[in-house]
Amino acid sequence: MRKGNEKDKSAKGKEIKNNDDDSFCSDEHNNSKNDPFCSDEHNNSKNDPFCSDEHNNRIDDTAFKWDPLRNIADDPDEVLNIVDSHLTSLEKEHFNGQKDIDENFDKVFSASSVSRREFIQWTALLTSALMLPTIFAPRVARAANILTRTPFIWLDMSDCMGNTEAFLRTAHPTPAEIILNYVSVDYMESIMVPAGYQAEARRDETIKKYKGKYILVVEGAIPTKMNGKFLTIGAKGKTGLEITKATAKNAGVIIAVGNCASYGGIPAAYPNPTGSVGLSSVTNRQVINIPACPANPVNLVGTLVEYILVGKAPMLDSLGRPLWAYSGRLHDNCYRRGHFEAGEYVKQWGDIGAKKQYCLYMMGCKGPFTWNNCTVVQYNQDMSFPMRAGHGCIGCSEPAFWDRMTPFEKPNLDAKIFIPGIEATADEFGVALFGAAGVGVAAHAIYTGVKRRKNNNQDKNKNKDNKDNNKSKDEDNKTK
Amino acid sequence: MENANSSEGSSDLKVVHRMTVIKRIIHWTLFLSIINQIITGMYIAYPFLIFGVTPTQADSPVSGVLNSGETYQAFIMTWMREFHFLGAVLIDVSFFGWLYLAFFSTKEPLYKSFLPFGNKINEMYKMLKHYFTLKNKPKTGKYQDPLNAIIFTFFHILLLLQMATGFQMYVASFTGTSAVGAWWPTMMHICTDWTLLVFGGLTGVTLTHLFITWLIIIFIFYHIYIEIWRSILWKEGDILIPFGGYKYSRDNLKEDESD
Repeated sequence: MRKGNEKDKSAKGKEIKNNDDDSFCSDEHNNSKNDPFCSDEHNNSKNDPFCSDEHNNRIDDTAFKWDPLRNIADDPDEVLNIVDSHLTSLEKEHFNGQKDIDENFDKVFSASSVSRREFIQWTALLTSALMLPTIFAPRVARAANILTRTPFIWLDMSDCMGNTEAFLRTAHPTPAEIILNYVSVDYMESIMVPAGYQAEARRDETIKKYKGKYILVVEGAIPTKMNGKFLTIGAKGKTGLEITKATAKNAGVIIAVGNCASYGGIPAAYPNPTGSVGLSSVTNRQVINIPACPANPVNLVGTLVEYILVGKAPMLDSLGRPLWAYSGRLHDNCYRRGHFEAGEYVKQWGDIGAKKQYCLYMMGCKGPFTWNNCTVVQYNQDMSFPMRAGHGCIGCSEPAFWDRMTPFEKPNLDAKIFIPGIEATADEFGVALFGAAGVGVAAHAIYTGVKRRKNNNQDKNKNKDNKDNNKSKDEDNKTK
Repeated sequence: MENANSSEGSSDLKVVHRMTVIKRIIHWTLFLSIINQIITGMYIAYPFLIFGVTPTQADSPVSGVLNSGETYQAFIMTWMREFHFLGAVLIDVSFFGWLYLAFFSTKEPLYKSFLPFGNKINEMYKMLKHYFTLKNKPKTGKYQDPLNAIIFTFFHILLLLQMATGFQMYVASFTGTSAVGAWWPTMMHICTDWTLLVFGGLTGVTLTHLFITWLIIIFIFYHIYIEIWRSILWKEGDILIPFGGYKYSRDNLKEDESD
């Protein structure tokens, strides 16, 4: 399982197909021959690509195949069997019997006054957000239960702790946030009890004890200049670069939360004096990026739940983001899109257009350039997102958004273009060039006119001279 | 003018066939669709006609504010985008027609204005020199003169860039499949995803698209000026080429062919 993740760097490729290449079977099931999914029946069945070697070489006819379960089997019953037995084995690992399993969630949710009904509603939401059929809802609940016992290491690099704050300090937390509150975090600087040397000892212990099993969540960009000395953490003064590299080496799954950890974000904004980069630039392992500022808890929990259900990273897009959450463009799913098409725009904060919830395109909404699921699962206790609140999107789930999406409250056309030595918008520069060309053409036209008149005069004179010469010649001839 | 010197040979004013019907169709399709692209594209970049009344804007056609009434009656952005896409398709088809003819035209393939390269560069400088000195007009015969050929090629590279950046923005709204099948967005991704890396994300691609529009506007301006300039100065009817396909030539073409 872990090796598979290590090898799976092809996920960064543009083709979605690439993710399917590493088979579930080869990494996990060949090792355990007693595995219930790989029974003889399955091996005999022709349609089982899961346990056959041809799976690796299988060519997908359809260029676009979206399978949240990543082609683990063609037969639906088999898929359920596989997922179920996978969950059972994980439950055995993390819980002490059925009683412990049943009591765990009661404890978690009774403390936060979330009813069982609310939790069931949330599992339905997450199941549909993950694009799984309804039959997976109880399995999603089981996976969420397991998630609360899975060992976590949460590293904070150079950032504002915005993601931690957003996840942990909600007034009316949704189940996603509660699960994040109750995960068995073995190392998280903002909430852990140990301090100093003890804290680091705890982290090293976790890495040793749960080698290849713990979930590593990194928040914040990693400075790389001066050997990463722009960020030193802890009693031993280790650099963030060292810590992330050491921790990522043995992690089961690596998740970069927030734009900073994913792509460098604000610390990496131009001119980037600290040389900050995203997590995927530091480690060789495959990194699942959950960008946005802050990231939506549902996206983080959903990705982890999918990891627990299937046993490996979800399908990623070309920027390393889980497809189930980041495949939709905000502009296409926005409830104000109709006003965009109708040419009805907010022109000024607080005008009638704003009151009527017209499109924020001219107020600098970067929805047309941003892929995320804000419009579907929403923020702030699943209640709102920028456009609903009346402000345009700032494109925080895209790489280098601080450079590329600014100015945030003006249309993209007012952005300065990046040509060295020139600070102007594309239109200003274009008009200036057009003006220069116009001046040049006018100058050339005038020059041509003047020159031509001069030439004509010269020609006339020459002609006159010629005529005179001719006349004189004629006269000469006559006289001769 | 030097032409005045050749007054004795005024009888060698010849008719030269320069543009075939297909080339003329491509020329005017490009012209009309580029004008269309500029207008609709500028609207998409900055919607200057605001439908729906806002306090700062009186409802008047002069200021570009019209109360459209019901939302469904207007859909102006939809129409602008629709015409922008239609124009894009016309330009793309014309571009590939041009590209084919640039190599395989039986009449006048463009590459003949480039080869042999060294000579033609020299001729290009001669033409440039002629623009500024009005002396020693290079011969213009059967083929495109090298200066024009190079500028037209540059213009078509701009069109190609517009296509790449434009399709990158177009494919952004696809979710991996389309009415005609998955091959269509896949093809667009394969052909245009490099623009994201080169120009810095989708916003950079958008700005590049806008900036190249300005370069194309400048080209149109230059192109019309220089053709009028040639018609006036050379008195060979260059402006008539895209209309009738013919121009006149005062040069001794037999000599030109013997080169």
